[in-house]
Amino acid sequence: MTRGLALRSAIQAGLITGVVMVYLVAVGLASAFARREVVTGFLSLGHLMLAIPPLAVGYIVAGRPLPTSRRLAHALTVGLAAGVLFAAAFLAAEALSPGIRTVLNRVSAALLVFVGFGDLGLEPGAGALLNVAIATGLALLGGLVRIAPVPVRRAVVGAATAVLVLSMVEPFLRPRLLQFALSGLAQFIYRSHGLSMASAAIILVFGALLAVAWPGMRNSASSRLASADPGTRSMLRWLALLVAIAFLYTLPAISGSFLTQVLVLVGFYVLLGLGLNIVVGYAGLLDLGYVAFYAVGAYFTALITSPTSALGWGLNFWVALPIVVLLSAMVGLFIGAPVLRLRGDYLAIVTLGFGEIARVLLGSDALKPWLGGPNGILSVPFMLGDGTYFLPIVGKVTGPAATYFPLMGFCILAAFVAYRLKYSRTGRAWNAMREDEDVAQATGISTVNYKLLAFAMGAAVGCVGGAIYATHLQGVVPGGFDLLVSITVLAVVVLGGMGSIAGVVVGAFALIGTPELLREFAEYKLLVYGAVLVAVMILRPEGLIPDASRRAELEEAREIEQGELKVEYDEITGDA
Amino acid sequence: MTTTDAEPTMDAAAERPLLVATDVTKAFEGLVANREIDFNIPRNSIVAIIGPNGAGKTTFFNQLSGVYHPTSGTIEFEGIDISQMAPHVVAGLGVARTYQNIRLFQNMTVINNVMVGRHVRMHGQWYQAIAGLGGIRQEEEATRRRAFELLELVGISRRVAAELSKNLPYGDQRRLEIARALASDPKLLLLDEPTAGMNPGETRQMTDFIGRLRRELGLTILLIEHDMKVVMGVSERITVLDYGEKIAEGTPAEIRANPRVIEAYLGKQATA
Repeated sequence: MTRGLALRSAIQAGLITGVVMVYLVAVGLASAFARREVVTGFLSLGHLMLAIPPLAVGYIVAGRPLPTSRRLAHALTVGLAAGVLFAAAFLAAEALSPGIRTVLNRVSAALLVFVGFGDLGLEPGAGALLNVAIATGLALLGGLVRIAPVPVRRAVVGAATAVLVLSMVEPFLRPRLLQFALSGLAQFIYRSHGLSMASAAIILVFGALLAVAWPGMRNSASSRLASADPGTRSMLRWLALLVAIAFLYTLPAISGSFLTQVLVLVGFYVLLGLGLNIVVGYAGLLDLGYVAFYAVGAYFTALITSPTSALGWGLNFWVALPIVVLLSAMVGLFIGAPVLRLRGDYLAIVTLGFGEIARVLLGSDALKPWLGGPNGILSVPFMLGDGTYFLPIVGKVTGPAATYFPLMGFCILAAFVAYRLKYSRTGRAWNAMREDEDVAQATGISTVNYKLLAFAMGAAVGCVGGAIYATHLQGVVPGGFDLLVSITVLAVVVLGGMGSIAGVVVGAFALIGTPELLREFAEYKLLVYGAVLVAVMILRPEGLIPDASRRAELEEAREIEQGELKVEYDEITGDA
Repeated sequence: MTTTDAEPTMDAAAERPLLVATDVTKAFEGLVANREIDFNIPRNSIVAIIGPNGAGKTTFFNQLSGVYHPTSGTIEFEGIDISQMAPHVVAGLGVARTYQNIRLFQNMTVINNVMVGRHVRMHGQWYQAIAGLGGIRQEEEATRRRAFELLELVGISRRVAAELSKNLPYGDQRRLEIARALASDPKLLLLDEPTAGMNPGETRQMTDFIGRLRRELGLTILLIEHDMKVVMGVSERITVLDYGEKIAEGTPAEIRANPRVIEAYLGKQATA
């Protein structure tokens, strides 16, 4: 009975997997990604994309608490079911071809060749069978990995990750290798646009070794760190910080103009994410109109610094910035005040409205004499010099790098501010308010003040982002400030982990950086966004890098435990 | 009105009570939850309000902590009328409370729950926190030490200090709530059914602990209970509410013998 039940659920899982695979092909995702080589002539990203569902589900199914043989049998069943469904869909499409294109316009003859291995000269029937075999094999492989001991699992994941990452960074890494006269190495690693077979093999081995050795390395490092005296430890911490800053400082020189442009884009979202994180992550105020502050910062900056604006002041950016921050914080208070009594969903909807109001107002005819309507405000000057300046070591800075340096500086500053606030009376009050507003108030926290403070802080950080954005584009137009920006920033915060500073950085790289690296698939960006967010919310609802405060406190608790701390009750009595 | 002859208990009544509620009435759109209640809490005493479910105990309690404001009547705490004050202001004056159904800050760590309880006794502002000035580090360190001391006082191992509070066992959550309340150095501690959901052994431990809090920290404590047995041992004076009105007040022995209480409160069980 239960045996039959378990088997049935395995078949179900397999069929769902098959549906996912068919979907990936039918919307054209798989064939689009097939143009991107992982290992040239052997594996494309499209193939990999199709291979992951059966692998993953085989892995998951084999995790059931059953005897090993049955776990593997289930993995096999999953693969078989997925493969059969996929092959059947393929054969059906083949039979209905070309007519099917009127409904599913992506199902081209080329796609059917890609799916049915027609490029290997196989008949559709044979191709279908091969698909079944591959899906079954992959699911079984996933199951085998699951039942394997931990180091083996680690090795497999490490090897796969290494190959994937190195192949995906090809468009950036290869020019860099050539720039630094390492053309031999470049030729060895890459063939066409993917890895060569030989380098793939070597990378696999290295990835596996590294993954297996990593936990040991980390443990010994952290135990050595723990046994070091506090002086050495803080010195090491400063050293790590210094190295990180040095890396960021020299990065544009190494990475080239396009990658710098990507970094700038990521930087904007890091900055916005850090600001929104204060509002949403710390204080728990779901703000769906955060773009308003970004827009306000950009427009105020343009208004004050551009010589052609209605004001025509043409102030220097650095003179204008404090004014802009102050004004934006006031706008934050202005927006915050009427929504003080609103909670949760209601707050979200009202802030959503504010975001839209801001966008409409900026482009409106009514404000056209000041804000330029749909034309926006142009000739916003650069932050430093004429967009070209000299820095020690790096030398001449121009193009996107001219924005990169100040932006990075502000990101670091914002992260520092966020960090300091987080571990303070203010941060705790915000967290308490997020958890239970009534109890927070009964604990002595003035929720009105702290809500306003959160809005103002979020607004201040967001407007700095907007100010830099205006100088980066040397102008502002209303088009850039739509709802999608608000949602993307929120997605960055949620994906990274609410309230987590490192999470914002990782989230921005994942959501903003990765699509830039996979530019040719921009068409599917939102589809992939959605899928990634759903997956993360199911698998890791606390985000990629959950709030690290607990870890930090664990360490402190240990430290205090080591030092003697005797409690005298009368000592606690306090002022009584 | 009602039996007031028991009011001056053995405590020399020379000292002014910590809290004096006069003629407190609270009506919710016609439904009168509290009617003309006179009530006071002497310093360094443990008093209890009991009554059947729905008697208006928690409503009364919520007015003492500023969550509700009385429709009429006054509540004076140390001579200051707090009846129209916001909860956070009342908390700042030295009134701390716990909740009938535990309300911790669930996704905050155990130690942070206690530290946030000290909010009203701290002074660091956000700009000081950012700049690291104004003795902010010392204040933070002192608060942390105090929080650890309080955890020890209520009997929570410091090993769980970095756990999220929602992951603590039930009894520890109750104790943590008390530690959070104590962190604000309250003069008056309001405990709303502190033994709800506990077995007899845990209940006795809790009542012993409440007695200790008064002795060792010099606190004044107000308990709310619907189970009369719990408060008999610890409180020196009991006030009984029924249908929003005060029907009796006196020592545990007097309350036990009061016919109105037996009728309204224990009646059915006593005659059964």
